[in-house]
Amino acid sequence: MNRQGVSSRQQTFSMWQQTSLITSTLIGVGILTLPRTTSAVLYEAGWMSPVIGSVVALLSIWMIARLSQRFPGMTFVEYSAIVWGSPKYLRMGKWLSLPWILAYLSCMYLATGIVSRVFGEVVVTSVLLDTPLEVIIITMFVLVFILSLHDLDVVARINELLLPLILLPVLIIALASFQKAEWSNLLPLYRASLPSLFKGAFEAIYAFSGYEIMLIFFAYAHENESKVRAGVYGIAITMVIYTLIVVAGIAGFGYEELQRVAWPTLELVKTTKVPGLILERLESAFLAVWVTAVFTTVANAYYAFIYGLRQLFNRGIGFQRIISAIMFVPLYFITLWPQNVVDIFRFNFYFGVFSLVINLGIPFLYLTLLFIRDLGRKQKERNADG
Amino acid sequence: MAKGWVRLAVLCVCVFLLTGCWDRRELEERTSVLAIAVDMVEGHEGLYRLTVQIPIPLKIAGSSGQGGGNADAVKIMSVTGRTILDANNNLQIRLNQKLFLGHTRVLAVSEEVARKGIRDIMDTFRREPQIRRLLWPIVVKGEAATLLRFKPQLGQIPVVFLMDLIENGAKMGTIPDQTLGDYFSQTSNKAMQPFLNYVEASTTEVRWRGVAVFSDHKMVGTLNAVQSWSFLQLRNEERGGDVIIPLPGTNNGYVTFRPHFVKTRLDLKRRKNKGPHAAMFSCELEGDIVEVTAVMKMPPEEFIRQMQRLIKKEMDKRAKKLFHQLQKEYNSDVLKLGLALRAHHYRDYWQKHDWKKDFKNFPIDVDYTIKIRRLGMEMQ
Repeated sequence: MNRQGVSSRQQTFSMWQQTSLITSTLIGVGILTLPRTTSAVLYEAGWMSPVIGSVVALLSIWMIARLSQRFPGMTFVEYSAIVWGSPKYLRMGKWLSLPWILAYLSCMYLATGIVSRVFGEVVVTSVLLDTPLEVIIITMFVLVFILSLHDLDVVARINELLLPLILLPVLIIALASFQKAEWSNLLPLYRASLPSLFKGAFEAIYAFSGYEIMLIFFAYAHENESKVRAGVYGIAITMVIYTLIVVAGIAGFGYEELQRVAWPTLELVKTTKVPGLILERLESAFLAVWVTAVFTTVANAYYAFIYGLRQLFNRGIGFQRIISAIMFVPLYFITLWPQNVVDIFRFNFYFGVFSLVINLGIPFLYLTLLFIRDLGRKQKERNADG
Repeated sequence: MAKGWVRLAVLCVCVFLLTGCWDRRELEERTSVLAIAVDMVEGHEGLYRLTVQIPIPLKIAGSSGQGGGNADAVKIMSVTGRTILDANNNLQIRLNQKLFLGHTRVLAVSEEVARKGIRDIMDTFRREPQIRRLLWPIVVKGEAATLLRFKPQLGQIPVVFLMDLIENGAKMGTIPDQTLGDYFSQTSNKAMQPFLNYVEASTTEVRWRGVAVFSDHKMVGTLNAVQSWSFLQLRNEERGGDVIIPLPGTNNGYVTFRPHFVKTRLDLKRRKNKGPHAAMFSCELEGDIVEVTAVMKMPPEEFIRQMQRLIKKEMDKRAKKLFHQLQKEYNSDVLKLGLALRAHHYRDYWQKHDWKKDFKNFPIDVDYTIKIRRLGMEMQ
């Protein structure tokens, strides 16, 4: 492929950085509700849904990685024009690809809003009871804004740095809560019907969404070949964590109780006694660490959005800084749109469908398009030969 | 340009991060409640009386010189209300600082309230984020407030005394460690019923009396200490208390067996894969003889064999009585049989039966295996 239009920037992301980008984006607010949402349709077998969901996520990330491998050094926004047009008809390609890019960018934008809202909601209901929701959301936005002032490599390094901080507490909580687990709660292994298996898997697929940021970030991978591997590792780590937490939730509470609690993982933390009694109230410590998990999710999504915008208008870092400040204003109002907790969970659901369509649809469409054009070109070459 | 941005960023950081906590509340600015007791108000249908125990830090000995001693280290306050929160609010208007339930360790419910059903009470505690799932709900014989009012001479704060009592009991395997979170899960679970600790309190003492058996948020009966130990052995593999049996053929002679290790297996076999389902508990008790109050004239091998037979017979009898009470009198599956049935026989049993109705007549049997390992410091 030609590298026309690609500015000379470094491609510095190591494979581990890509992996941590994916994992830390995936693990966010979803983990607090996951045991409930997955066991809602699958009952005792709720842990199957992250396993099945990860297959879909793997398929999607594989397609995204393949796309990026065809256009090394280019982001989704850049190669869209080439896919839809051709190097000759770049302008046409630009216009044709615009709806897809906009859909993708709005997906990222909404993700930022919804995740920050759920985050604020958890903090307000469980820890800082008297703090206004707006304050928590704005603080999160400010943090994200500070990150978006920086260049790409900073984002990668932050994710790399924070990943252990996100993984370890969740792992410890899941394993520590096995002490009081009631293993019979996990049986019978399977009793739901096949359609509900897919429905249950969908719940997990939503928890897996977020890897679509790699449509942008894969462009800066150091090695072109490591992309698929990074994607697989990122999803696999998340899958293990998710499955563990769902198993811990079902074994600890039973699926009926899980349906009743709003934030099951938080309740799990509350019931878990860490041997040694260093911390009696573990949930405050857990939430403090969990803030980083949410931060990486929100920040990565927002950064992908801002970076995409910047490339769409073909501007520099200055534009990125200004636009990131401006775009927070509408985002703030979007975030405050849902009126109550029930509303939020419904919004969340619709957004899950939307992001699933984007995650699977866009890479699939692009790959098919490329495949057809390859066929066409080969045909032409053969014609020219013969 | 870059410098300007850095300045702006620093300013933002300062503005937003150096402000401190929004809802900061210092430790001395809150009134911590250590225990809550819920009673009925006599003559007023539908009114609850809420009693709370608040520690007075200054009066607790050791905190500031001579403070402790005779003075009460806790303050007891009682209020009435239509709901728990109503009473809570009535209490708040009598206090100078904000009530804080985050340190509550015991929730005492009077037997009267428990028998009426505690679903409405528990709803408050489910919703309140301050409430810890690790606190202990306890059913109190008579008035629940006595549990808060009693004065243990061995400790300053009654609730701490009670907590230690339960904690040590749980460690020894004689008192179940039944927390609020357990109660929540057990009431939600369709395949089992909850139980709580049952205590009795007087003005100076508190005493564990066994467990209170619930059925759908309503207390339906109690198991006394001895039965509770059998129950613990079968359900939780806890060791339970010492088994004291009169020795046959002696004048007022007793033997005491102390179980150390318990292994329980539950089999849900059908005979020849047909026939009705039946539950079979196989419980293995491993322990020592710690007391023999009569002179036994027999060789040690014979003695051990005979004692094992004797204890097995007694334990079987106790378990049978336990099953009879749970099934016929209380009709409440606290043994987690339903959970095991649902887990292992979902298609061939659970789907075809209504466990709430069928538990009553479900065949349950038990087979104890007693293994006496040692005879204490004596040879016989």
